[in-house]
Amino acid sequence: MRNVALVGAGVSKFGVRKASYRDLIWEAGKACFDSLPVVKPKDVEGLVVGSVMPERTAFQSHISSMAAEALGIRPSALSARTEHMCASGTVGIRYAYAFIAAGLADLIMVLGVEKLNQPSGDEAILNMGTGVDREWEAAFGLTAPPCFALAAQRHMAAYGTTDEQLALVGVKNHTHASKNPNAHFNKGATLDQVLGSRMISSPLRLFMCSPITDGAAAVIVASEERARDLTDRPVWIRGSGQALDGFQLTSLHEDYAHWPAMKRAAESAYRAAGVGPTDVDVAEVHDCFSIAELIAYEELGFCAKGEAGPFVAAGRSDYGGDVVVNPRGGLIGCGHPLGATGVAQAAEIWAQLRGDAGARQVPDATIGLTHNNSGMGEHIVMIYGNEPT
Amino acid sequence: MSYFRATDPFPLESADHTKLHTFYARLAEGRLVTTRCSTCGATAWPPRGFCGECASDAFEWVDLAREGTIHAFTVQDTGLPAGFDGPRVFAIVKVDGLRVFATVTGTDPATIRIGQRVRLAPIRVSDDPKGNPRYLPSFTVDRA
Repeated sequence: MRNVALVGAGVSKFGVRKASYRDLIWEAGKACFDSLPVVKPKDVEGLVVGSVMPERTAFQSHISSMAAEALGIRPSALSARTEHMCASGTVGIRYAYAFIAAGLADLIMVLGVEKLNQPSGDEAILNMGTGVDREWEAAFGLTAPPCFALAAQRHMAAYGTTDEQLALVGVKNHTHASKNPNAHFNKGATLDQVLGSRMISSPLRLFMCSPITDGAAAVIVASEERARDLTDRPVWIRGSGQALDGFQLTSLHEDYAHWPAMKRAAESAYRAAGVGPTDVDVAEVHDCFSIAELIAYEELGFCAKGEAGPFVAAGRSDYGGDVVVNPRGGLIGCGHPLGATGVAQAAEIWAQLRGDAGARQVPDATIGLTHNNSGMGEHIVMIYGNEPT
Repeated sequence: MSYFRATDPFPLESADHTKLHTFYARLAEGRLVTTRCSTCGATAWPPRGFCGECASDAFEWVDLAREGTIHAFTVQDTGLPAGFDGPRVFAIVKVDGLRVFATVTGTDPATIRIGQRVRLAPIRVSDDPKGNPRYLPSFTVDRA
């Protein structure tokens, strides 16, 4: 396999945007090309677009070709759309990684985009029901919050995790987002604000949840030869792992506080990268709800099973701790424009490992990790380094 | 042209639309049934027309108990999809060893507990576009 690197990255403003689906593609594409002026759209050989539900939200399919034309890309090696619910963006990065590692292409853009907000707010939430099983779950009104609430309740019952510990994830990520001009939320949040926010699905309160957000992000992925030609600071893909336990709630692990697929995905990625959890300096994890970040600490090996609550309370996942988790603000602070999220996570790690993250910079970061899931039983872990494996 | 929604989240339950239509027909009679693989004997929840264990597509319908116990649940107050109101109780109910996802209705959410016994109480949702009635499984707490 050939070495593969990220050589460019850019993110649109995330939020409730007065912007069309195509406007968001243009914004992320512009930011990405601006990060690597030596590359022009005509130089890009392939495009993969992660996008979940433009058929419902923008009345648009045929996404990759539409985005390629919008950005002036004329694919000669790969053109594809990936849909894997909340992990669509990282699935796209894996396709580009595999194509380039195999020698089938040398320069591919991966773009994630979602326009979730609709004229009717409850229709926007109704659309989210397409991500669970329509006949056996969504028909009952199920969307993501109650699923993750089941995990939170179980974690609290089994390990004594507290409302305050769940809230501290929200405090940390809202605070990080206040230093990210592209985040949905920029005002930060106090513990009292998080604990006082309205209940969504017990025990998860509003500020412990990611919002309905519009946004886009893009990265440019290159072979080693092209990467060294284009930049003196490539960020290398060192390992990748994906594992699935199940789709419907009733086929997951009976103990909803255990996410074994995430542990398996992490083990694959660590093995490929030749590193372990203690080597990770900075991690972008999928905090769609605060409980997800707590369980991620455990399944990624940052702390032992059941110890995530004390881990966040001691500041071990913040600046000055063991590993800085979600410096860009996570999904809770940045919002979660489904297909864009995994790509935006990669863009943050790209900036962090190059030392370009400004006010959010994690000192001396050399190994970064992204974790993207699409439900409690479906996980992807990527490991990046500022040196190749 | 007015802004409209062209579909709804409920399954198309009739024989015109799904090979699992028997499930819904039984549910309308107050019975909870699922599929058993005719080849390897695996019983599934939810019902399925293809066996993930042995790859057979031959199945038969078997009755499940009309009672179960609450394995896990949550109450969603806000942020529900269009057409659904809170507070809404989502539960995983253990029925004959299977985990069944459904709502709990007709019960004060504050009184629901893990391990509580519940009884099948199907609910009627909106008719399909041809006017056929549609039902979904739900459970309720029996008054002692």
